[in-house]
Amino acid sequence: MKKVATPEYDIKDKLKYHVSALSTAAKEVVMPLNITTHYPRERRKWPDCFRGYILFDPERCISCFECSFVCPANAIWMKEAPSGRYYPTLDYGKCIFCHFCVDSCPGGALRSTKIHDVAYKNMDEMFTHTEEMIEPPEIIREDEGYVEYEIDKEDLTLKRTKGKDKLIVDVAPSQGVPMVSLCIDRGSCIACKVCEKVCESGAVSSLLDEAKMIIKMKIDSEKCTGCGLCVKECSMQILRLVRRE
Amino acid sequence: MEEYKNANMRIINSGPLAPFRKWASKWSLWPCHFITSCCGVELAHAFAAGYDGERLGTLNMGISRQSNYIIIEGTITRKMARALQFVWGQMPDPKFVNVIGACGERGGIFWNSYNITHPSDIVPVDFFIPGCPITPEALLRGVRATQDKIVGIDRKTIEFKRVELPFEKQLEERMVPTSPKLFAPTPLIKVDVKREVDWGKELEDNLKNKLEGLYESITITGKSSIAIKTTQENLKEVAQKLREQMKLDHVKSVNVIEVPHERKFIVEYIISSYTEEELMPVLVTVFVEIGLKDPKIESLTSIWESANYSEREMHEFFGVLFDGNKGMGKKFILAPDTPDLPLRKEFKIPEERYVFEKDMPLDELMVPIEPPKDLYIPISEEFIEEAYDNDEIVVPIGPHHAGSGHLRVTFRIKGDIIVEAIPEPGFVHRSMEKLAENRLYIQNVPLFERLAINDPVNMNLGYVRTLENALGIEVPERAQYLRTIMAELSRIEAFYYDSGIFSLFFGHTTGFMYSMAIREMVIEVLMGMTGSRSGPSFLVPGGIRRDISDDVLKLTDNLTFAIHKRMKKFEDIFVYNPVTIARAKGVGVLTKADAIRCGIVGPFLRASGVNYDIRKIAPYEAYDKLDWEVTTGDDGDCLGRFLGRLAEIKESVRIIKQAVDAVRSIKGPILSADILGEYKEAASDIKGNFFRVFGNLVLPKGEWTTITEAGRGTLLFSIISDGESNVPYRVRVISPCWMNLRGFMEALKGARYADFWAVYGSFGYFPPEADR
Amino acid sequence: MIDINAVISMMMNNQVDIPLLQPLLKPMLEMPLVGYLIALVLWKPFFVLILMPGFATLGIMLLILPWIERKMVGRMQWRVGPREISPHTRGIIQLLADSLRFLFQEVIIHKDAHRSYFLQFPFLYFIPVLLPLLFINAGTAGNPLVPIVSDYGLQLMVALICLMPVFILGVGWASNNRFAFIGTVREAFLYFAYEIPFIIVVLAMIVLYGTSNTVGVVNAQSGVWWGIIQNPLAALTFFIAMVMATARLPFEIPEADQEVSFGPFVEYSGIAFGLAYVMGYEKMYVLSALMTMLFLGGGSGPVIPGLGELSYAIWFVLKTLIVLVVMANLRGVYPRYRLDQALKIGWGAMLILALVAVAWSLVMGVIL
Ligand code: SF4
Ligand code: SF4
Ligand code: SF4
Ligand code: SF4
Repeated sequence: MKKVATPEYDIKDKLKYHVSALSTAAKEVVMPLNITTHYPRERRKWPDCFRGYILFDPERCISCFECSFVCPANAIWMKEAPSGRYYPTLDYGKCIFCHFCVDSCPGGALRSTKIHDVAYKNMDEMFTHTEEMIEPPEIIREDEGYVEYEIDKEDLTLKRTKGKDKLIVDVAPSQGVPMVSLCIDRGSCIACKVCEKVCESGAVSSLLDEAKMIIKMKIDSEKCTGCGLCVKECSMQILRLVRRE
Repeated sequence: MEEYKNANMRIINSGPLAPFRKWASKWSLWPCHFITSCCGVELAHAFAAGYDGERLGTLNMGISRQSNYIIIEGTITRKMARALQFVWGQMPDPKFVNVIGACGERGGIFWNSYNITHPSDIVPVDFFIPGCPITPEALLRGVRATQDKIVGIDRKTIEFKRVELPFEKQLEERMVPTSPKLFAPTPLIKVDVKREVDWGKELEDNLKNKLEGLYESITITGKSSIAIKTTQENLKEVAQKLREQMKLDHVKSVNVIEVPHERKFIVEYIISSYTEEELMPVLVTVFVEIGLKDPKIESLTSIWESANYSEREMHEFFGVLFDGNKGMGKKFILAPDTPDLPLRKEFKIPEERYVFEKDMPLDELMVPIEPPKDLYIPISEEFIEEAYDNDEIVVPIGPHHAGSGHLRVTFRIKGDIIVEAIPEPGFVHRSMEKLAENRLYIQNVPLFERLAINDPVNMNLGYVRTLENALGIEVPERAQYLRTIMAELSRIEAFYYDSGIFSLFFGHTTGFMYSMAIREMVIEVLMGMTGSRSGPSFLVPGGIRRDISDDVLKLTDNLTFAIHKRMKKFEDIFVYNPVTIARAKGVGVLTKADAIRCGIVGPFLRASGVNYDIRKIAPYEAYDKLDWEVTTGDDGDCLGRFLGRLAEIKESVRIIKQAVDAVRSIKGPILSADILGEYKEAASDIKGNFFRVFGNLVLPKGEWTTITEAGRGTLLFSIISDGESNVPYRVRVISPCWMNLRGFMEALKGARYADFWAVYGSFGYFPPEADR
Repeated sequence: MIDINAVISMMMNNQVDIPLLQPLLKPMLEMPLVGYLIALVLWKPFFVLILMPGFATLGIMLLILPWIERKMVGRMQWRVGPREISPHTRGIIQLLADSLRFLFQEVIIHKDAHRSYFLQFPFLYFIPVLLPLLFINAGTAGNPLVPIVSDYGLQLMVALICLMPVFILGVGWASNNRFAFIGTVREAFLYFAYEIPFIIVVLAMIVLYGTSNTVGVVNAQSGVWWGIIQNPLAALTFFIAMVMATARLPFEIPEADQEVSFGPFVEYSGIAFGLAYVMGYEKMYVLSALMTMLFLGGGSGPVIPGLGELSYAIWFVLKTLIVLVVMANLRGVYPRYRLDQALKIGWGAMLILALVAVAWSLVMGVIL
């Protein structure tokens, strides 16, 4: 345990500390340890892992709804595309840039950019449709250079570089563990067809068992993207997501 | 609203002098001090050394009358909406409004809260800036956009390119998936679930002895926690006995749990001791069950003063009457137009939706809120008259006041001496407890981080540790160290934010700038680790989201050396400045007895001479493997509190240094295998499997309480789970600032008017953290 | 009927002598109307009062001083201060934008205020601020540059300066606001705390110089034998009193924006606040000018070739500026005292220092 005592100043100390405060100030006027980034004429260079605006790649999306489910701000709503599949839209009026969605996306369809400095004139514009999330947006850029914070053992120094910082980082899209849906108890299937209706890849089909004259569901593991929606919705809870071997 | 906006532009554009007018307005946007929520932290950065908004002619100075620009920082609660409307009305034309932060736009993470409003319904907003919190650059972009608007340049700051989606073959009949949330229809709620642990036999017997005939049951509910069930009639006596014979001297939390289908309330007090070393880590829960109708219980404020404000809060949220508490029947946290008894289960907040439908209004889900019509000041006429009769003056400070933050305190001042200080918190009450009851466990990680955006990792840690304790997960060693590093960085951040405010309150802008500059360094490191400036949400149950590279660790190591240079300058110019010492020394003294009585927590408690640090008494993460010391002091005055924290963060730097050295040689996963289940690939990066791993967490049945030492003191999370739902049944969070509020008011008594700011700053009171 | 020619010749006899401009001015002086005008402008009292270091300089100072302050304090604080408005000149016109904006902004008179006083006081305030400049001596020993020579010059200046707080009290009273009230009371308390040492110090200097005529005062500080060297204690006390009088940090107590949100000026908006805002700087300027005259040898300094008497005025302004900058920069170094602490300093340390300064002067007087 360390005890911290508050100092008691006598007149000598007072003088000493007056002088030290004044001299510190004077030193800074002469040789300032300036750390200012002159935004908008220059930008700070953020690390590549910076969490900013989100881009979307429909090719990779398996319409699993996970981004929407996990979003703590409920900023992602899924929108039906012409093909009948659901793709995310993103409301920047709610998004808190936690990137839970990016981390959740098993297909690696969502990725981050370093765009973050945007001002909107009205709130409706903040709602970003799927179509707008595919190509990197263009923002007003007045910057002619960028600043890097360099911390060495002595102090923080600013490294200034001319030129525009790249805001779209190329990170390898993440890939979740590939999964596939599997029925573990075919006997219990009541053929409610929920799985068929919810599947967006057309992987589930119903099959008439001629012999017993009952309908059973069949999952085509080739088509199945492993989105897990059928598993979630199954009324009998007999579907499981398993690793695609 | 549109009219107002146009009117402002008309004023700017009118007359032959329009060009001058435009030019002058463009370069002289003075925002008024209207700090409303946690985004204010980043606002501070935007106007501090790192970005210096003053470059753009935007001088953050002046109050409403002198300014022409409001930057609304995030949440506007119902209470604050009044202040906002009022302040905006006071400003001279032409004036401009920017909103920063998602929760000022469409609610952000608090979108379905019962207590927030949309600022755009209340004042005409010119620009909305997304982010939570926004980055300083984004804020300055908003300033630029406003400047452009003034001179008549009309351009979008972001231009999206539309790409049509590929058209495949049309799918047939489709079903929209249902919500992932599961609620048990009739949950079984039990506070005292018995758990087999190798602890507490003695204490149990001891308690049974002492409370002979007064209790119904005594159950060990986990390591270091024990629950005593008693009855309404015996409660007070039990409390008396516990206090006098067991030296359980303060209340950590007062909680009410409503169980509508069993028609009962459970009222619980979690108590602990600051004086008895053995009992320090022990949490004793005393609870009673009372009927749903006319719930009434005897207040324990006479025994534990520290329960005072929490009782008032629970009264407001649940309608339970604590007989004997003076604040009953009065508004404390909520605004007059907030729905009554919002935490009861029958009060429903809007549900999430997952599918976008065409032509659907975007904010359909928000609780509609009328712009308020009056300025609500909960001070009675009699109070004012009484004060005048005694030759005193009543001065309300805040919430719009350069030195109040988002808190209102009403003073009665005699001469220059404060006779009475009446706090009015709740200006940033965003109903986290209610929201948490409606979200998946994992979604609450960022939610609770918003308690204190300037101490984010510790807030994370507190919540995540509670989940881990409940699930019985052991965090891998590497993650433990990394979490320790981040938590300590966060502690430094919290201190420097508070010291910045402290110096600002003394009128010392240089101290503020230096503090923020040091924070900027720490943020640079934290950002390298987590990818976010102030809202990392990086800790997850079982570890952290992804591994941290050696480069960033090296940077962290460098920081532990480099930080000293600027710290020294800060001390020279502010801390040891004779004027600071004169202002802070001997002011706002809290004696040890007072501190314990009011239930102060954290460094402020230690400054009053109590050796209590959760990192030592109940070590978590890697704290017991590192060499560091608790700092205490004896003075209990403002200076003592401040210097104590300064010494503490020097220890933090030491901790980080050691932890970085240690973590370099520890290789291994950063996520516990227990939680990953079959997704073992994610052991060093959760990317791609996040929802699958964490989406469906369910906590075992019972109450799970964990205390953590956050930057400003004890952070308590108490989660009640029914064992079936994947959302918590009830979450009680007691933040350090909330506990400190009572002591803060106590320290003010007898101080001078100007000392309010010394005391305020020394307590590092951060309203969003206190109001929750 | 005033004899124009007599007046002109009186002016002509008392001209600021600027050798560099002589060839240019000579022919112009011959011209009828232009000549009169130039004669008037170069007439010493007029020149000092209106141009340098008088009103015009004051005006420029008001535009530049806050900029210097913001820039220097910014530097001290690891940032840059105003800049983007004119990046190449480092944002020097920032204050122009601010004041124009104030001018164009709505002036709100809230309903509880005393309407006419609320508006009058900021304007009336100019009187005590500007009148002391009548007695300022910007010249050097044996070469006075002074608008009005009076044997009671110093006393009059001090009296006028002491009048200033009255207007602030008026401003606060007319605002009818809690914070304005508290701020006003603080101002009043502080007023007594600094006023007495301030007057005593001036007294000490009068004793030392043996005259209260501003011309005599400067004459007594010939060469480098400046007041600050003759009586450093008095200079120190005067400086502290000056900081207090202008309510600069660490004595920024009446206007403390975190505590009483600009105190007396809390309700002012638009140009009225703009005036109130510059009030402080005006006061600083006048007091700094007084300090330069009393302690820093007035306009003494080497004659800049070609500028003749103008160089004294320039030296005077430069010295004033240095005092101003030092005073302004205190903002970056100190937090503010509490009212009672400031009062204690005023009535305690400063009073003692002031009395010692008087004793010092007496002793010096005997020695010399
Ligand atoms: S970043 Fe977070 S808040 Fe934003 S859309 Fe993704 S999950 Fe939602
Ligand atoms: S694949 Fe990714 S983007 Fe598509 S729905 Fe799933 S989580 Fe969302
Ligand atoms: S079968 Fe199930 S898991 Fe596979 S794609 Fe269809 S809904 Fe998704
Ligand atoms: S929660 Fe806090 S940080 Fe986030 S937008 Fe709201 S005010 Fe800003």
